Amino acid sequence: MEDPKQTFLKELSSANNLSELANLRVKYLGRKGIITERLKSLSALPPEERPLQGKNINEIKESIEADLDSRESRLKHEELKKQLLSDSVDVTLSGKFIPFGRPHPINKVLSEITDIFVGMGFSVEEGPEVELDYYNFEALNIPKDHPARDMQDTFYITDDIVLRTHTSPVQVRVMEKRKPPVRFIAPGKVYRCDADITHTPMFHQIEGFMVDKGITFSNLKGVLEAFLHRMFGADTPVRFRPSFFPFTEPSAEVDIGCILCGGAGCRVCKGSGWLEILGAGMVNPKVFEHVGYDPEEYSGFAFGMGIERIAMLKYSIDDIRLFYENDIRFLRQF
Amino acid sequence: MRIPLEWLREFVAVPADASEVAHKLTMIGLEVEAVENLDNDVVFEVNVTPNRPDCLSVIGIARELSAVYNTPLEFPDHDILAETGELDFNVDILDKELCHRYAGRIVKNLRLGASPEWLRNRLEKCNIRSINNIVDITNYVLLELGHPLHAFDLGTIKGRRIRIGTPNTVKGKGAKVVIKTIDGVDHEMPGESLLIWDEKRPIAVAGVMGGHETEVSDSTKDIFIESAYFDPASVRRTSKALGLKTESSFRFERGTDIKMLKKALDRAAYLMKTVAGGDIHGKIDIYPKRYRPAAIIVRYERVNEILGLRLTKKDMLNCLNGLGFEIETLPDRLKIKPPAYRRDIKMEADVIEEIVRIYGYDRIPAQLPKATIGTEGNELKVRSNIKQAFLKSGFTEVINYSFMGIHDIDMLGIDEKDERRNSVRIKNPLRAEDSLMRTTLIPSMIKNLVHNVAHGNKELRLFETAKVFIGRNENSGLPDEREHLAALYYKEKVKALYKDETHDFYIVKGIIEAVFNELKIYDYSFIRSSEPFLHSGQSADIFIMDEKVGYVGSVSPAVIDVLDIKAHKPAVVVMELDIDKLMPYTMQVVKYRALPKYPHVERDTALVVDSSIEASAIVAWLKSYASDMIEDIHIFDVYQGKNIPEGKKSIAFNVRYRAAGRTLKDEEVDALHKSLVDYILDKTNGQLRQ
Repeated sequence: MEDPKQTFLKELSSANNLSELANLRVKYLGRKGIITERLKSLSALPPEERPLQGKNINEIKESIEADLDSRESRLKHEELKKQLLSDSVDVTLSGKFIPFGRPHPINKVLSEITDIFVGMGFSVEEGPEVELDYYNFEALNIPKDHPARDMQDTFYITDDIVLRTHTSPVQVRVMEKRKPPVRFIAPGKVYRCDADITHTPMFHQIEGFMVDKGITFSNLKGVLEAFLHRMFGADTPVRFRPSFFPFTEPSAEVDIGCILCGGAGCRVCKGSGWLEILGAGMVNPKVFEHVGYDPEEYSGFAFGMGIERIAMLKYSIDDIRLFYENDIRFLRQF
Repeated sequence: MRIPLEWLREFVAVPADASEVAHKLTMIGLEVEAVENLDNDVVFEVNVTPNRPDCLSVIGIARELSAVYNTPLEFPDHDILAETGELDFNVDILDKELCHRYAGRIVKNLRLGASPEWLRNRLEKCNIRSINNIVDITNYVLLELGHPLHAFDLGTIKGRRIRIGTPNTVKGKGAKVVIKTIDGVDHEMPGESLLIWDEKRPIAVAGVMGGHETEVSDSTKDIFIESAYFDPASVRRTSKALGLKTESSFRFERGTDIKMLKKALDRAAYLMKTVAGGDIHGKIDIYPKRYRPAAIIVRYERVNEILGLRLTKKDMLNCLNGLGFEIETLPDRLKIKPPAYRRDIKMEADVIEEIVRIYGYDRIPAQLPKATIGTEGNELKVRSNIKQAFLKSGFTEVINYSFMGIHDIDMLGIDEKDERRNSVRIKNPLRAEDSLMRTTLIPSMIKNLVHNVAHGNKELRLFETAKVFIGRNENSGLPDEREHLAALYYKEKVKALYKDETHDFYIVKGIIEAVFNELKIYDYSFIRSSEPFLHSGQSADIFIMDEKVGYVGSVSPAVIDVLDIKAHKPAVVVMELDIDKLMPYTMQVVKYRALPKYPHVERDTALVVDSSIEASAIVAWLKSYASDMIEDIHIFDVYQGKNIPEGKKSIAFNVRYRAAGRTLKDEEVDALHKSLVDYILDKTNGQLRQ
């Protein structure tokens, strides 16, 4: 009797796809398959031969099954490989996407500053941009006919209404509606009647304000140094020097060591090695009197800074007007 | 203010070089903005704050250096050795509140001519042009002692009489008074402005500028020198009213030294005699309103409380001693009277600043106050969420000026009665096209479009959040300030790797819906808009409940046509939202809903209906069908064209059914869906699409 295994192996090696393989499986193992028939024919054998022959045929059957399975899994794998190859894309083509938009550099710097102060316990307040002369000047100890008004070129709506020239009026508005302690910053737009390479008629400021029992000049230094070190790096030198603002007394101008030349002196710091970055001071008792705070019981500090200047320093921008041209080639850099 | 170091050293022996002196001045509040090196000298450009008029002079700066270096201050020579003759001159101060002191001298037989080199030299270092020896000396004394002087040609003063008063006082209210000043301009004077008069007429605007007719000329031999103290606010009002700002008015309006004025007068007379050889006559000095400072109490404890220092009484006195104060020491406090040149020192806080200014700001330790928790507040958080949604959708933020011009509103075709015409007008704008405060952000957006297209930028997704300013409140006079958001989308049709057939309108509308989704606002609707500047077929007003909160749409071709854009006329979609109006709908607390336990079943159906029927109407009808098993309805296809009759369109929708407590059976969904379809066919008068 010929060995069906030998013929099977020959046929297996020439089965090159899954359907040929399926046919082969039927041919040997199907209901009328060669091996199945052999098994059926066992009953025709004398009883004493049956166990041996049966064992032989079963062994052949198992071996054929194993070969078919292994061949099938290999063919399946090859077919998948072929299919994937034909489905392939050019992975070097660019993907389809819409780049995220960018925040305006001014607002980017503004939120960075806001986050630092919120982290130091300041809340955020707002006030009107079209403001009463009273809040913008009078209540901040800048009376009419006072030369301090020359410090700010004002846009007027009427004799009593102005475009706010600074964010300081928010101090007065907040104190009018709340009792101490208060601790807030007030970011926003301010306006001055001025336009050249370093001035735009609208720009941004952040006002900071804190009033409580026992607030000192030393606290003012603590808060501003912590802020400036977070903003410009822990090694940045900070210096306070006397200045004048009608609504603070004592008043200070705060400088940082020039971040461009490291203090050696350059065009930006005009050779001084220092950059003026904010104005500050202890709240003038006269401001407290305007809002009914008792200056004997409470003390506090205020500070203010221009955002454009900080953004210009941070990104080395040399023309302030770029901020308001809104050219996307500029805006997308931030 | 320009201060030559060599001139300073004449009055104070500063034991330091130029750069150290500059640093020292800066650190006591006299910021040296620039140091200019000249041959044999250095000039400081000192930024003098408005509260320190006493430092608008060489002697003023020298006085400060003398205090910080603790070295004595020398005054310049002004002794009048010989006076010839009496002053037969009458001076009457009629408005004593406006003129606290008036002094003068006559100098005769002067030889008018060019100034000597030393004089010219010093003036030039301070950027003052030399004119003649007499005028130069008044300027020299101004720079040296900070006190403005005025020289009149004596011969032109009528009646040997000088009066100081306002037109109201001298001529009576309503009288017209005109004076020609030395710049040749005729000024009609306000009734309350202070003038100097002779017997007949005004001869100078007090503290601002002299009169043309009494000016020192080439033929002048005899002069009258005026040295006076005028009320600062009065000089400022007059200077503002005339639009005349001079070296004199600048100092008078900040406050001059009422005691120095005699010294300045004598110094000028002395120098004139020296330089121009005149005879100095006697002096007149009327001083009706004396400088009498109130004593200021300074409590030692308060000084340390404000500064956060532990200074002793001695430390404080060391700081104050060089500053010219009259100081009385008490056990717990000081009583201080500031000198006449320090009228800025009025209260305790002012003295505290003086102490720490000299002590050194850099010696105060930095100490953080005790910690609290800060917060941005809900409104800012919502605004920030909105911004984030736009940023994530690819929109880049712009910031525009808050200004607009009437042309911008006209260009948009805004109706006469529309509140956007009720804008706030600036009295002194920089340009006419920036004379109004914005009532809408769209004109700025369109300007951004024009700029970017002109620079070859082919795709724009821009947005801005800013205040608009509407009307004026009757009580406060202030406008209603509302936070708006505007966006603009423009994409030039160019060949692209990936096709996207989405209409531009839906791109912008989609972002608005994304924002509403982010803010959990669901009760919104888009209703065809009648904004005059939008394409009537591609624009919608945005409503939340029944309130209009904004609009979105393609910009009308009529508006695009007038823009300064060459070559092609772009299709542009804009939108504007009133963010303040969204706020009440966003304060929702998130509360978890259980996920459904039983499966859902979906059915799709396509209808053919009149093309005028809008999607929102179909969805609304479908939703009006009463069944608690309909979970969701959405439209997934709209088609017009082949196989659909003219004037009709096909709308396909998907319905998702689910029962709360059980699994739905196919048969019952079939029945329910058929009933729903019959309902909508009836409502729309439509047919099933075959």
